[in-house]
Amino acid sequence: MGATPGNNFSGRLINRLGEHSYLIDAATGETILPSDLHRLICSFGASLLSTGLKPGDRILMGCILSPASSIAYLGAMYAGLVPVPVEEAVLVASSADLLKGTGARAVWTERSFRFDGIPETGVLALHGHPAERRADPLPPAPCEENDLAVLVATSGSTGNPRFVMVSHGNLTANTEAIIRSQDLSSDERAMLILPLSYCFGASVLHTHLYQGGGVVFDRRFMFPDKVLHAINKYECTTFAGVPTVYNILLRRSNICSIAMPSLRRFLQAGGPLAPQRVVEMRAAVPQPRFYVMYGQTEATARISCLDPEHLDEKLGSAGRPLDNLTVRIVDEDGKDLPAGQVGEIMVKGPSITLGYLNEPEESLRVFDQGWLRTGDLAHLDADGYIWIDGRKGTFLKMRGVRVSFAEVEAKVAAVPGVYECAAAAVPHPEVGEALALYIVPDQGAGDVIDRVRHSLPVYWTCESIQIVTEIPKTARGKVSRASLPAKVIGTYE
Amino acid sequence: MENVLVKVQEVFHEAFGTDAQLISLETTPSDVPAWDSVGHLDLASKLEQVFGISFDVDDLMEMENVREIVRIINSKL
Repeated sequence: MGATPGNNFSGRLINRLGEHSYLIDAATGETILPSDLHRLICSFGASLLSTGLKPGDRILMGCILSPASSIAYLGAMYAGLVPVPVEEAVLVASSADLLKGTGARAVWTERSFRFDGIPETGVLALHGHPAERRADPLPPAPCEENDLAVLVATSGSTGNPRFVMVSHGNLTANTEAIIRSQDLSSDERAMLILPLSYCFGASVLHTHLYQGGGVVFDRRFMFPDKVLHAINKYECTTFAGVPTVYNILLRRSNICSIAMPSLRRFLQAGGPLAPQRVVEMRAAVPQPRFYVMYGQTEATARISCLDPEHLDEKLGSAGRPLDNLTVRIVDEDGKDLPAGQVGEIMVKGPSITLGYLNEPEESLRVFDQGWLRTGDLAHLDADGYIWIDGRKGTFLKMRGVRVSFAEVEAKVAAVPGVYECAAAAVPHPEVGEALALYIVPDQGAGDVIDRVRHSLPVYWTCESIQIVTEIPKTARGKVSRASLPAKVIGTYE
Repeated sequence: MENVLVKVQEVFHEAFGTDAQLISLETTPSDVPAWDSVGHLDLASKLEQVFGISFDVDDLMEMENVREIVRIINSKL
């Protein structure tokens, strides 16, 4: 099959917009009408091409949770450019690294920022609301199913940002399978509090618009009651959150007393939520169906879904694979394991992405002849439900975001006074998993714990820093995380 | 009010690494990158420890800027 406009995911999506396709900013009340949305996406795409950018060029997009950022992202994809959505604050802080890592030819932000060093590189710096960038509409850029649609940033094993290459065909396949698994109708309206740069957040935007529904954006989850009231005010039907979000709702909001009669479903992904919390959510708000899901950026977004009909019976399970995916559980030699035995989950299907940008060796290892090695350990039960048992131990998930142990260890090892260090994950009620650090200090180094604590990014939650005499290693010389606690000789916090 | 603000500034530094001098009564979450939903809870629990008070859920919802935080703390001292 050749390149056709029909393969362009954004083009397909805007052809399916319907009378319910409103985009609403809950904080400001800004509303994009369904009758304007199609035109705004097309004309923003055209305006990008009018700057000299060509289909296939990459564009870093500093997204915030807003109608404008969503339109810009879809508009770039519609024009055949390859958007690289990142959070605005991340883009502003690390534009040079992101430009180098992606080879982007342009940067777009909704608000205006000065990017040091960009003018000299010839990279275009664009900003502004899509409604301000008018151009004659154009048809969707023709593309092949396997053409790159978007680069999604995720944590790499080395600690550098890594970009997953997602094709137009991947997006179409995963979006349609998710819609089927969640029984989405054409009159849905999602409350979105997750970033567009995160595959789960993007998947909520994609599925609801693709089905002819709309999305309400709310950046105020730090005041959860405001979001709950907005769900009621705007009559949202879907709410999506990572475990941290549900933990906060249960412990630090008035969820039991704020009526949300329009809500049809809760979606939960981004790491395991304790089964007890699922039960508490069901008790707090009984009428919406509760969907537990499992996924990875490398698989576009979602891999499996636990049908709410079987929630009680299979509580704690990640459900069954989406209907266009095949899942295997394999041992270390790649041999299939029978039901009940724990091994690595491998996934195959049309939403398995094209690999990592500029990382051919790692792509070959992780994307093994069409099978995605998830790095997650699980078993299947007799009914084919997936039960996640752990991970192969290369990263932890804080606030639903992957952070690799290698990245943490590299950062800590660079702190003066640290001879060697190891990082482990411990359960944490709000962030899901927090860091536990083990440090072998240099001889005579003082205050090393304080220095390490202050060197960590504020987005990382560190539960404890412990001084040890040595870091336990495997036979291959890698940190043996399972053996860490036994080596502790002094606990400082 | 000044003494409370000074202590609040110190807690902001401890929670978010923000220079205490940059925190004023007008500071809002959009001025402090790490002051997000999880950061808000961390900030609240540190304030509870420092001032020996406790916040209820409604207090947390009202803490939209430093002025409100100082007001709520003063009402509990």
